[in-house]
Amino acid sequence: MSFFDLEGTLKPLTALKQFGKKPHTLKDIPWKKREAADRYRGLHYNNLDECIGCGNCSSICQNAAIDMIHIDGIEGKKGDSGLRPRVDNGRCCWCALCVEVCPTGSLSLTKDYLYVTDDPDTFLWTPGLSNPDGAERRSFVSDKDHSLNDFRRVPMPELEGKERVKSFAEVVLGYNEQQAREEAQRCISCGICTEVCPDHMHIPEYINAIAKGNDADAVRIIYDNNPLPEMCGKVCTRRCEDVCAIATRGEPVAIRWLKRYATETAQTVDMIQDIVNPEIREPNGKTVGIIGAGPSGLTAAYYLALRGYDVTIYEANAKAGGATMYGIPKYRLPVESLQKQVDYIRSIGVKIHFNTKVGKDISFKEIYDKYDVVFMGVGFPDAWPLGIEGDDAKGSMQAFRYLYMINSGEKVDVGDKVVVVGGGNVAIDAARVARRFGADVTILYRRRVEDMPADWEEIEGAEEEGVHIIPQGIPIKIHKDEKGRVKAIEYLKAEMVADEKGGRPRPVPIEGSNTILEATAVMAAIGQMGDYSFLGKEFEEKIKIERGRFVVNEKQQTTDPKVFAGGDAVNRTADAISAIADGFRAVKAIDEMLMGKK
Amino acid sequence: MKEIKQQMIDRILKAFPDAKNTDYDGNRLDIAIKKESVPALLMHAKEEMGFRHLSHIAYIDWIEQGEFEIVYILWSPSDKLKLFIRTRIDRENPVMDNIDMIWRQANTYQREMREMLGIEFPGMVAPDEFILEDWDDIPPFRKDFNTLEYVNRTFWHRPGREDAQDVRETITKRSGEEIPDFAKKYSR
Repeated sequence: MSFFDLEGTLKPLTALKQFGKKPHTLKDIPWKKREAADRYRGLHYNNLDECIGCGNCSSICQNAAIDMIHIDGIEGKKGDSGLRPRVDNGRCCWCALCVEVCPTGSLSLTKDYLYVTDDPDTFLWTPGLSNPDGAERRSFVSDKDHSLNDFRRVPMPELEGKERVKSFAEVVLGYNEQQAREEAQRCISCGICTEVCPDHMHIPEYINAIAKGNDADAVRIIYDNNPLPEMCGKVCTRRCEDVCAIATRGEPVAIRWLKRYATETAQTVDMIQDIVNPEIREPNGKTVGIIGAGPSGLTAAYYLALRGYDVTIYEANAKAGGATMYGIPKYRLPVESLQKQVDYIRSIGVKIHFNTKVGKDISFKEIYDKYDVVFMGVGFPDAWPLGIEGDDAKGSMQAFRYLYMINSGEKVDVGDKVVVVGGGNVAIDAARVARRFGADVTILYRRRVEDMPADWEEIEGAEEEGVHIIPQGIPIKIHKDEKGRVKAIEYLKAEMVADEKGGRPRPVPIEGSNTILEATAVMAAIGQMGDYSFLGKEFEEKIKIERGRFVVNEKQQTTDPKVFAGGDAVNRTADAISAIADGFRAVKAIDEMLMGKK
Repeated sequence: MKEIKQQMIDRILKAFPDAKNTDYDGNRLDIAIKKESVPALLMHAKEEMGFRHLSHIAYIDWIEQGEFEIVYILWSPSDKLKLFIRTRIDRENPVMDNIDMIWRQANTYQREMREMLGIEFPGMVAPDEFILEDWDDIPPFRKDFNTLEYVNRTFWHRPGREDAQDVRETITKRSGEEIPDFAKKYSR
């Protein structure tokens, strides 16, 4: 190449031959502004209402450009950490990985790539707050089908509906190792679930341990604040899954099934001991008496025993477990599984006196005087009757009692046409149990199916097994035959009326819509209640009871400072995990009180 | 087109017994072959079968299998067919034949591969650096390259970001959850 390149100087001039011709591409320029490409990756936009602050964008960012920050006006609540992402545009390379991993789809990139400011230090950009009008300019959005999140759950192997009703064999078969690892890898470890868990279990940590192939660590993490995890792994009400970040657009991570998988790797008491290998402190000379070997009582007993307390439980029934033993059908929670966990708790030094009903076999005062502290996990031993005409008929019973009798091994004759009234888990359980004894079962519920408080998987399971559900039906009368047995149940159809106060829609009976349904047995599953007669006169005054429940402070302490309480007889949520949480909280308070520890 | 496609596949399989065909819909042919046969197959495809154009060379780090994969994507303007020729090379000793005498533009792709994955192309004449200046770490497109760690080491953080909070910590603080120390290594 010479210094003066003649060719290079003249060649460009050939472009002049295009002068005056109509351009092929850039039409309407400069009158019309050019749009960026359809999937252009410009400045971030975040829908602040859809965002739940899981922080997945922040943790994926390979440039460490995204911070999670508090924004005025957005407060954390259940299912929302309250934090929102802020991008350092000096570091961002617009790879859009943050958008690809966003579980809610709230984060996106826009077509905007120009931002003019007179402050050269303005690089921090809070998507959604810095550009509230960015919603219309979104271009690179998260697409559920191509997201890096896996929105589909690994299906749980189950027995077929027709096979199930033949026996009480466990319906859910459990994940195998490969399935569990695969499912565990769907978790994004945000931890939003832990806040709604009454017991605040360390969910992301144990799921991560499973994902990394370390089941033993997972079991240890689980046992940190739950001594009955296999039971929870099978029957927990799992509110954690309702707020799972993945559930915003897909199926939640199967937190319950993963817990079940991890705990089932420890198949015997010895194996649990080997894996958990808890540190048991030297006896400290203090004693604790516990009434009721249900989830709250067992939890309190286990962690108190680990802290060196001498713990004794008084249990009215022949087996421990409380409502999880006598209320939950065996196809959901096999007796061996529960027994194993109870045996493990006993193996670390918890003493249980079975068949000892407080108030009858031993007085409450005796226990109160004998121990330094008393914990009551007495539950709700009674159920509400229907309270309608004909309720006294033979064959009219409470579903809770029915389950209790079946689980105690008694035979109950319910005939071949059973009607269960209610929409909670007890109703579904009783229905599915009766179905296993060959009866045609109908569930009568006041509201719509979607209003049922029961677990949706249980409702589906019941339907698969041939249980018939009549929604929006309000029972008004039980018809008897000459012998005083149940012959039929009469109900009114209801229509749903929106509640003016903003509550859930109320069922209002339709006049004259009386329908009669033949039945050989009617089971009421409309709630349980406590029986506190065991306290005796003296303590009924000392220990305050309000609306059927013990009054406790945030440390589970009743109005008598020496007495703590937990479980159904205290909390409104009335499930096992809340009972466990109560027990765990009480342990900390009791330890603080007796050992003077903070 | 299906017939032409099948004829092409048959011709390749006949000439290169170690080639493996994977069926794809549309105008895509996909052949896996061992690395020694790649230059010969590329020549054959270009000179005999009408794949005059090299569209792209893609590369993948299969870290679990200890291999790099190189995919040569050719285009036949006459038959409107795409030909993918893929091969695997050892990750520990990544050496591949230089093919820039077949297509000149391969030189650029090979420079990129040399810089981003560390694959050597003996005989290739090209400047040492491609995009990265004074790079002193492992090639950055290798999957074991820790981008985040590199970024934090190399670029300072802008002031004004001190109010960042950890999501897990925020939630535990609010709920009163106490994560045991041994579990913390599993936190995000």
